[in-house]
Amino acid sequence: MKIKFDQVNKTYGSVSALKNINFDIEPGEFIFIVGNSGAGKSTLLKLILSQVKSSSGDVVIDDIFLNNGDKKDIDRIRKKIGVIFQDYQLIPDKTIEENINISLDIVEFPKDQILSKIEDVIKKVDLLDRRHHFPAQLSGGELQRAALARALAVEPRIILADEPTGNLDLDNTWNLIKLLKDINENEKTTIIMTTHNMDIVDSLNKRIIKVENGEIIEDKKEPEKKSKNNSSKKI
Amino acid sequence: MTILNTTWHHIRRSPFQSMTAVIAMIVCFFAISFYAIVSNGLSTVIKYFDSKPEVTIFLKDGLDNNAIQGIQKDLASYPNVKETKYISKEKALNIYKEQNKSNPMLTEMVTASILPASFEVIVSDPKILEQIYQNYSSKTDVVDEVIYQKDVIKSLLEWTDIIKKIGIAIATIIGLISFLTVFIIIGMKITNRKEEIRISRLLGASSLYVKKPFLLEGMIYGASGAIIGSTISFILVALLRSNINSFFDPIVFITNSLDFYAIVLVSEIFLGVILGLAASWIGARRYIKF
Repeated sequence: MKIKFDQVNKTYGSVSALKNINFDIEPGEFIFIVGNSGAGKSTLLKLILSQVKSSSGDVVIDDIFLNNGDKKDIDRIRKKIGVIFQDYQLIPDKTIEENINISLDIVEFPKDQILSKIEDVIKKVDLLDRRHHFPAQLSGGELQRAALARALAVEPRIILADEPTGNLDLDNTWNLIKLLKDINENEKTTIIMTTHNMDIVDSLNKRIIKVENGEIIEDKKEPEKKSKNNSSKKI
Repeated sequence: MTILNTTWHHIRRSPFQSMTAVIAMIVCFFAISFYAIVSNGLSTVIKYFDSKPEVTIFLKDGLDNNAIQGIQKDLASYPNVKETKYISKEKALNIYKEQNKSNPMLTEMVTASILPASFEVIVSDPKILEQIYQNYSSKTDVVDEVIYQKDVIKSLLEWTDIIKKIGIAIATIIGLISFLTVFIIIGMKITNRKEEIRISRLLGASSLYVKKPFLLEGMIYGASGAIIGSTISFILVALLRSNINSFFDPIVFITNSLDFYAIVLVSEIFLGVILGLAASWIGARRYIKF
């Protein structure tokens, strides 16, 4: 799925969150969106998900203009996107398994394969013993992994990951990054990930979009790898 | 996870709200069933009187055949007249003897000549009775007396009319209250589950997908209210049936027909489903804005 931002501006009241954003994302790319808090990273992801509409300019996915797209088209696009929200967005009174089940039901995943799919993704994120727990019973890291499992389950064409490592310890952080990298390489799934963590960014030779005060200040297609011996890990 | 599971989950998570909706529906359908049974009873009473010779016109003595045939033709020309039956003096005597066969003293001295010939007129619409009564009461040259159960029929019609109007008004008011109750409760449930609906929408769920469990919930309230409400009224009526029917004897006011109760039950379930669906549909449209 091709994504295009064409002169996109987004304001919240009098606050300008994004200014004149232009970029294209080709299918299968792995992109980091980096920047300080409040720079506009999450708003970029929300625009792709059509969670918010741009104030001006166009966000286009597979030739569908999200600003004035038909609701059915937007639903169809959303079904192809797996999202790992910063605040997890798991349904509180449903177990982890039920949360994943709902997302599979929404994308009309074959009924006879749902259980095995749940088993598979829960195993991948190492939450087998937590599958019948409710979100309130899990730690931040476990919730993050549960959100990842839900995103992976629907076999998306695009994964939006909003600070997915924010609540993970070092080992789980690198496991998650490795998982996303594998999915990107093996399934050709587009990965768009926002992060503060430059160690992660530096460890992969991927495209980086730097956002500052709502503007793109740098769009590096193939950033040079920096060697950091103290904290970074090569994947 | 099927829609039914999600709906059941919604019902379980807020049992008191669900119970309120079902109780409102039970009251509504109890009233409607009760009204249906009473209405059916009143129809039976009217049918009973319909099947009786409702007007009896006693003729003066000495009328020839032409005059009698003229009266018969005239009576038949009235609208909604089902049957006109001529009772000759001899036939009147036979009827009299039959009615008093257990008391020979009353029959010994009676002959055909002292009994008047008469016409019994059976109509399909009791409203025509008044017209026949008025017209023939004034024909004093051929008619001796006109008798019909004017007061009974009149008050029966009035009561039937009043009961029907009150029944419809009560059913409408209770129906409206049930509708609003389900509408408000579905609205509250949607508000409680706003987060879940919002998340589902972000995952690609269509508007109909997130509405479906609430629509099914409304239908379940309607159907269960109809089943429970009508069953309670049927049980109550079964308990009171013998007393009520003996009061109306020989009329069977409370019917024994299982077909009747089955039709009432099925109709009410259908009505309940429609009522619940409409209330939840409007509620979902009103409260699900994203």
